[in-house]
Amino acid sequence: MTDYGHDLLFGTFVTPGEKALDLTLTADRAGLDLVTFQDHPYQPAFLDTWTLLSYAAARTERVRLSGNVLNLPLRPPAVLARAAASLDILSGGRLELGLGAGAFGDSIAAMGGRHLTPAQGVDALAEGIGIIRDLWNVDARGRVDHQGTYYTVSGAKRGPRPAHDISIWVGAYKPRMLALTGALGDGWLPTMDYLPHGPASLPDANARIDEAAAGAGRSPAAVRRLMNFMQVGFSPTGRGLLDGPPAQWTDQLADLALTHGISAFIIGGDDHAVAERFAAEVAPAVRDLVKRERG
Amino acid sequence: MADEWGIALCLAGAQAEPEQLTALAGRAEAGGLDVVVLRDDEGGLDPWTTAAWLAGRTDRIQIGVPGALDGLTPAMAGKARESLGILAGTRVVTTEMAWEAVPAAAPEDVDRLIQEVGVRDRPRRPAAVRALRRDGIDYDGIPASLADVAIEPGDPGYRGHRSTYMRGGSPGLVLRPRTPAEVADALAFARRHRHLPLGLRSGGHGVSGRSTNDGGLIIDLGAMNEIRVLDEQRRIVRVGPGATWKQVAAVLDRYGWALGSGDYGGVGVGGLATAGGIGLLSREHGLTIDHLRAVEVVLADGTPVRASERENPDLLWAIRGAGANFGVATAFEFEVSEVGEVGWAQLVLVSPDIEQTLKQYGAVARTAPRDTTVFLGSGPAQPGQSVVQLYGIVDNPDPEVVVERLTPFASTGLLVQQRVVLTSYAQVMAEAADVGPDGHHSRGEPVSRSAFLPRLTDEFARDAARLLHSGEVYFFQLRHMGGAITDTPPSATAFAHRTPEFQLTVMGSDRDALNRAWDRLAHHFDGLYLSFETDPRPERLLDAFPPDVLTRLRTLKRRYDPGNLFRDNFNIDPEVQA
Repeated sequence: MTDYGHDLLFGTFVTPGEKALDLTLTADRAGLDLVTFQDHPYQPAFLDTWTLLSYAAARTERVRLSGNVLNLPLRPPAVLARAAASLDILSGGRLELGLGAGAFGDSIAAMGGRHLTPAQGVDALAEGIGIIRDLWNVDARGRVDHQGTYYTVSGAKRGPRPAHDISIWVGAYKPRMLALTGALGDGWLPTMDYLPHGPASLPDANARIDEAAAGAGRSPAAVRRLMNFMQVGFSPTGRGLLDGPPAQWTDQLADLALTHGISAFIIGGDDHAVAERFAAEVAPAVRDLVKRERG
Repeated sequence: MADEWGIALCLAGAQAEPEQLTALAGRAEAGGLDVVVLRDDEGGLDPWTTAAWLAGRTDRIQIGVPGALDGLTPAMAGKARESLGILAGTRVVTTEMAWEAVPAAAPEDVDRLIQEVGVRDRPRRPAAVRALRRDGIDYDGIPASLADVAIEPGDPGYRGHRSTYMRGGSPGLVLRPRTPAEVADALAFARRHRHLPLGLRSGGHGVSGRSTNDGGLIIDLGAMNEIRVLDEQRRIVRVGPGATWKQVAAVLDRYGWALGSGDYGGVGVGGLATAGGIGLLSREHGLTIDHLRAVEVVLADGTPVRASERENPDLLWAIRGAGANFGVATAFEFEVSEVGEVGWAQLVLVSPDIEQTLKQYGAVARTAPRDTTVFLGSGPAQPGQSVVQLYGIVDNPDPEVVVERLTPFASTGLLVQQRVVLTSYAQVMAEAADVGPDGHHSRGEPVSRSAFLPRLTDEFARDAARLLHSGEVYFFQLRHMGGAITDTPPSATAFAHRTPEFQLTVMGSDRDALNRAWDRLAHHFDGLYLSFETDPRPERLLDAFPPDVLTRLRTLKRRYDPGNLFRDNFNIDPEVQA
């Protein structure tokens, strides 16, 4: 049994197309905790995720927002740090920062980004997270100078100071990314559908993150475990993970929380009705069940 | 004196009072000011993020953020600007503009400015919209008759009008005439802009016809979509260029009539009815242009003319196959056919040997009766397995006849899927999706080649199979010709290719590679159908029109369009001496 004891979050994974704003308003109204947008700027039909996040934050009052996950090779960390802090301030502390090393190198290059190998992408992400945290740290003295392998920052003024302690959630699957997540991240944000063995992949991945966290002198509980679920639906009879009646969803999510320490459940599908039922019928029941079990 | 007034907000220090920033912008908007200018300062709020946030908290006011997005690649910055335009409308500008922006730090500052500026007439297009105007277009000189419906790059309707079914575009201006007189106004404007590309659009399905462009003019005839029966006895129907064939078919169906078009109901009338119209009823009823009895055209100089067998017969001849060179057709009058229930077949076959399937299809199609028109479509061939779509119409209401006609086609491969129904031609056309006000959203540029195939020989089947295995072609289509198409003499219309067995279209993604592969097949071909050809090499004109036809067209071009205003689609240059 692995449970890191975090409060539970329920949210949606939204395609950043033209329906994204309506889906965000639905999630906000329905009482979900989180709306997240994937980030593939090279997809012609998609909106720019950062612009969408900023606009959607302005049109909502309550819900927290994040990229899921932002494409770091196309979003220079110094620019992103300032933008993220600004949106956190403007939205009253409602921004979290999901980050990824960026897949699809050719597409990234087509948008003017650097084509990195997967290994280079991991190193660049580690460097980028350092720069972002440094720029947020307005209590430190002096300007930020960084001469790295992938990024150079020369005498940048720190700030602005985020309105709250923005979490950095990392999209990770392979061992080096999992280790980075444990060492530097505030959260792990993978997609269940992409885990090689589904839920059976969780013990090994969690262990790698825990080990890396300990190696960096951090508590494993410093890294929240989040999860996207792409294939979901409500159906009268149980057919699989998050494909059945709400009571079955509740049992499955509570089990993931108590057995594998998952504490944020983010569903895809871009479906208003599913998001509303998730908020109304599943989220409170999972919270109750987990609370009871945690005792 | 500036035209537009607003407040300037400093982004340094604003992080201490974010609500104040939002409140000041809202106050400026409520008070009728035009713009909020955000002044960047190191360590302050990020300009772009703040602009997007304020756009979300306001409805109308423009937001100026000079220098925002500088840290991103040009492609990412462009994407961000485009995205905010979609979300909030065209009102955020990242360059310095001639705004009069007064620094404001408190509500009183905003109120004072509102007092000073007073109530003014606001221009229809604010500066943020005008900032997206393209060079070389006299936007202020748009004819008054067209100004209220013209669409510029920053306008709300632009996304729905910039691109076409197969092509992405960024025209500088879309003019949308509703009457022949307005078409004449649009052409007068186009004559003053000879330096820009000019596209004519009816349904926006053009492949060779460039009905969108980059920075040029478009005359969009979508509003001229009348469909009216003129003479029920003689089955004469008047149709506007902006109607789609799906709409035409639906109206004719009420009378038990049909007019063959192509194979897709979403295509517009104007482009097809001035080029040919090789469709699913052609072998029984001829090409679409074979039904054209009269056409009304606005010429390049703005003159409206009517062409029929009695008036301007030369022009009628030219419009029937080369219309894009001669004018803007504003109405067509067709004599349509009585067509009852038809058999509509869509078959999917798997072929272990595409060469063999092509040969068999050729033999079956060649001997098919006139009531049967079956097109063949295929894509990249896999070793030992090709997927072939056969689809067509049997113009006969008897199910037994339909099955009898289709059976030999169905045995040209391994039949894996079939849908055969008795229905109306209107229902066949109705399978095309409706295009709403959001328009087409294609991107890029199609790469398409076309040819007429006099005979589907064994050698052609071999070479075509090789082409399909090469991977250079993702779309391959044979349109079944013959029958009634051959009843009209080649000299009767500018479309002269009356005798081929098939019209062939292929599409690829690499223009040079496709041209190389295609040119190797040239000896099988005799001419091309200009609607499906995108090769810009000038010798294609000689493929589109046989020498005697081209000579006659050039003589007429000198008469009807001596200044060569109409040149976007298989241009017949009046200056060239034959």
